[in-house]
Amino acid sequence: MNQQGLDPGSTTDMEVVTDIEEELIKACEEMWKDMEECQNKLSLIGAETLSNSNAQLSLLIMQVKCLTAELSQWHKETPEITPLTEDVLITLGKEEFQKLSHDLEMVLSTIQSKNENLKEELEREQQWLDEQQEIMKSLNVIYSELKKQVVTFSESRIFNELKTKILYIKEFKEKLLITLGEFLEDHFPLPNGTLKKKKKNIQEATKQLITLHEVLEILINRLFDVPHDPYVKISDSFWPPYIELLLRNGIALRHPEDPTRIRLEAFHQ
Amino acid sequence: MSVLRPLDKLPGLNMATILLVGVEDALLQQLADSMLKEDCASEMRVHLAKSLPLPSNVNRPRIDLVVFVINLHSKYSLQNVEKSLCHLDAGFFLGKVCFLATGAGQDSHCSIHRNTVRKLAHTYRSPLLFCDLEVDGFRASMAQRLVRMLQICAGHVPGVSALNLLSLLRSPESPPLEEL
Repeated sequence: MNQQGLDPGSTTDMEVVTDIEEELIKACEEMWKDMEECQNKLSLIGAETLSNSNAQLSLLIMQVKCLTAELSQWHKETPEITPLTEDVLITLGKEEFQKLSHDLEMVLSTIQSKNENLKEELEREQQWLDEQQEIMKSLNVIYSELKKQVVTFSESRIFNELKTKILYIKEFKEKLLITLGEFLEDHFPLPNGTLKKKKKNIQEATKQLITLHEVLEILINRLFDVPHDPYVKISDSFWPPYIELLLRNGIALRHPEDPTRIRLEAFHQ
Repeated sequence: MSVLRPLDKLPGLNMATILLVGVEDALLQQLADSMLKEDCASEMRVHLAKSLPLPSNVNRPRIDLVVFVINLHSKYSLQNVEKSLCHLDAGFFLGKVCFLATGAGQDSHCSIHRNTVRKLAHTYRSPLLFCDLEVDGFRASMAQRLVRMLQICAGHVPGVSALNLLSLLRSPESPPLEEL
């Protein structure tokens, strides 16, 4: 029904539009004529210049006149509005809708591009997440394997290792001690028979001499048992040449006040 | 001696013309350039003059707004404006004239007191604007303001006349001016 109603109307539309245009042009031409008339009247009025003295008063009077004239003009005038005929309304509506649709298209295109950007970003993020999950998985596997290993390590293996190490060190120590003892016996023997024969009387009178090995042991034991007073009294059983040897080589030290006592140099400190 | 009159010619289509009067060519030129950079719906013309009267043998469009630029650093510029005012029709003072004082920022250089300019503007019942035209930002905003005023004075703003604008511009300044 509407279609049928509009179709015959469209031909008259054109006529109406041209009519309106003609009317507008006519109105403009009339206004221009009015302006020309006014201009002619204005040009008849002579120019008036002001001097400093009369300026204020005459200007104020002019302003009052003009403002009153403007006021009465505003009172007289009734604002013209464009006739709200169907054609005008349709044209205005069309313009409004075109503007709106243009704006909406812009919004649509920006939102679409934004959407695409977001999609790409989502894909990237998804990929990243997958990678991270893969890494997590493999790390978890490694972690559980390590965990098992740690259990065995702590309970048996380390214990056994430590045990063997201790044993090895103990053996090594024994060996070292024996070797050192042998070294001492070989290289620092007690005065032998020749000496005994020559000074038989003296030797028998004195106590039995002890080996250098034993002297060192006494000194070491004293140093570790009584650290605050490591001095040992030189007894007759110490062979004096060996004591001299220890003192000269800096292995033993004499007491600063009592020459009969010596101590082992504190090598361990 | 020709007197410049408002509405002495029919207006050009969508045309608005401003006349800047002042002795400092460079400043006027800069101000004109700033104005032409402004967005304006009307077709704007900027004319520069050292002083009035204007030569009568030139064909020029209707002048819608006259701006007198006074440099506070030079007494000569004030004298020049005072002389030029005699060559302007009284009808211009119904909102189509404004005074623009520049150089107030450097107080030590001023050889004209601001009150002297205020009195002048008050005598001719026209707005007085202060602006340091040598500062780019200030000049740009002043140019914008002048463009708006020009559009009103040329009658391109519906519902507002130059006289309307004049009464709006002057009212807040009135009380201190009475005391001068």
